[in-house]
Amino acid sequence: MRGAAQSLKYLLLAAALAYPLMPFRDVYVLHVLVLIMVYMVLAMGLNILPGFCGLLDLGFVGFYGIGAYTAGLLTIHYNMSFWLIVPLAVLNGALFGVLLGAPTLRLVGDYFAIVTFGFSELVVLFLTNEIWLTRGPLGIPGIAPISLDVTWLATLLGVDERWRYAFRGEVPYYYLAMVMVALVFLVMTRVEDSRLGRAWLAIREDPMAAASCGVNLFAYKVIAFAVSTGIGALAGAFLARWTLFISPDMFKFWESFLVLCMVVLGGLGNIRGALVGSAILIALGEVLRVALPKLGLPAETRFLAYGLIMVVIMRFRPHGLFTQVAESTMQSSLIKDLRARIAARRTA
Amino acid sequence: MDAILTVDGVSKRFGGLMALSDVSFAVERGAITGLIGPNGAGKTTMFNCVAGIYTPTDGRILFAGGEGEPQNVAGRKPERMTALGVARTFQNIRLFSALTVLDNVRIARHCRTSANFFGSVLRTRSQRAEERAIIDAAMENLDFVGLGETALSPAASLSYGDQRRLEIARALATDPKLILLDEPAAGMNPRETEALVDLIHAILGRGVTVVLIEHDMKLVMRICKRLVVLDHGVKIADGSPQEVRANPDVIEAYLGKGAAHA
Repeated sequence: MRGAAQSLKYLLLAAALAYPLMPFRDVYVLHVLVLIMVYMVLAMGLNILPGFCGLLDLGFVGFYGIGAYTAGLLTIHYNMSFWLIVPLAVLNGALFGVLLGAPTLRLVGDYFAIVTFGFSELVVLFLTNEIWLTRGPLGIPGIAPISLDVTWLATLLGVDERWRYAFRGEVPYYYLAMVMVALVFLVMTRVEDSRLGRAWLAIREDPMAAASCGVNLFAYKVIAFAVSTGIGALAGAFLARWTLFISPDMFKFWESFLVLCMVVLGGLGNIRGALVGSAILIALGEVLRVALPKLGLPAETRFLAYGLIMVVIMRFRPHGLFTQVAESTMQSSLIKDLRARIAARRTA
Repeated sequence: MDAILTVDGVSKRFGGLMALSDVSFAVERGAITGLIGPNGAGKTTMFNCVAGIYTPTDGRILFAGGEGEPQNVAGRKPERMTALGVARTFQNIRLFSALTVLDNVRIARHCRTSANFFGSVLRTRSQRAEERAIIDAAMENLDFVGLGETALSPAASLSYGDQRRLEIARALATDPKLILLDEPAAGMNPRETEALVDLIHAILGRGVTVVLIEHDMKLVMRICKRLVVLDHGVKIADGSPQEVRANPDVIEAYLGKGAAHA
């Protein structure tokens, strides 16, 4: 059973890697797949707050927007390379995360959720009204696509050529998004199985007991906020250089809610769940966008379908599709080693 | 007396309610001290003041963890108190129930370890060594309370008595000098209580001072060297179990007015 699941996983991965190279590939399908991967990054980032720390964040999209505008503005004004923009956007997102988190993380429960919601609305209002910086509702068009310039390597090797690759079409973005998802997944699983991840889970399970174990609640919540918002900004930076156009209404409250639905659907605190949740909800959204008008319903009724799914999930699987928390911990070599030791002791 | 903890005139007020008023007592290093009294006497409030959950309204709490002068720790945050060497268990069990038994104890090593976000992501050599040391320390404490073989089971799957033992293992994993046990025998059957007595003596054997709140009078009289009795937030007696048992105020607090003469 476990072996079969493992083979299926590798098969899916191989199919995903090979698909863009197939003659029957479809630009629309590729576009949707890239979109799914952007949301996978967002869902993994958001998962840290409600999933690991038990903090309800309704304003995650604000940081997505901050990342996108950081990338967009740096590109059109300074023509900066994407590879330089990524760390800057992540740092900027994390900076705003700390600026918002430091004064508000002492609030608990619903009060905190309302503050985050207010913050994301603030971001949209700022982007809409500060026309000198953001061009307001017109948005920022004409953002340059990503390019990979390794001329320095050519110079180093003594080749007198310009080694520059500009991303055109969906295929290079598709592979870059895969790399991004893989990196964030690696970071998240490693953090989950570490002193930091355990401190977060302790806060989620019982803040008072966590403090009694020596966890500084406030500091660890601020760290969680910084990491989460940094990942949100990473997705934003990718979005800006992929869609090549950003505007304030791409970062409305609805997006925060959608990402939260993905995390809840997948299972709070489960990293794989965040991935599956994003894939299901985005794919479903696209299917409904086509299917609903054929049934004579406006495409907007798909929001009703999302609501229905959440109600059904709450009724039948209140903890989401994947309920196990700290999953990567169980797969670490140290734990496997310990499991063997305990088994040996039992038989002895 | 060599006191590890000295509570000096501590009061705690919640609005109009004086949960503790001007309570003073000392805890002898290396002995078992019992904190007893009827329900609502302020025993758990006292623990919360010492453990840093509450800041006393008034008074000093002096803790002499290591060498050097005792320091006033009243109002320190709980994580600071844990780092100083004060650990506790809770009256209504507070485990991280979605996690494994091992993870519950591993979290308690937080205050004695230092890996940060970057160490965790990059898996540096020191981070990996630290993770191994955390597992070893956690297993040692689990074996100490007899839960070593259940290390990888979910904490929620343990029996009630074992959950109490797990809380003790978690508290011990913070390397405390003083451990506060809040009703450790509550809900235990006689056999589990017997094992608990052995465990408490073993904790003492590790050089950890024990303070316990307990309603099981037979247990308290048997294992405590000294008792402190609270009633309505006021200390009414203090001394050896024999002295306290004979104190008319104590009998009155437990059995009502007139009982002392009956």
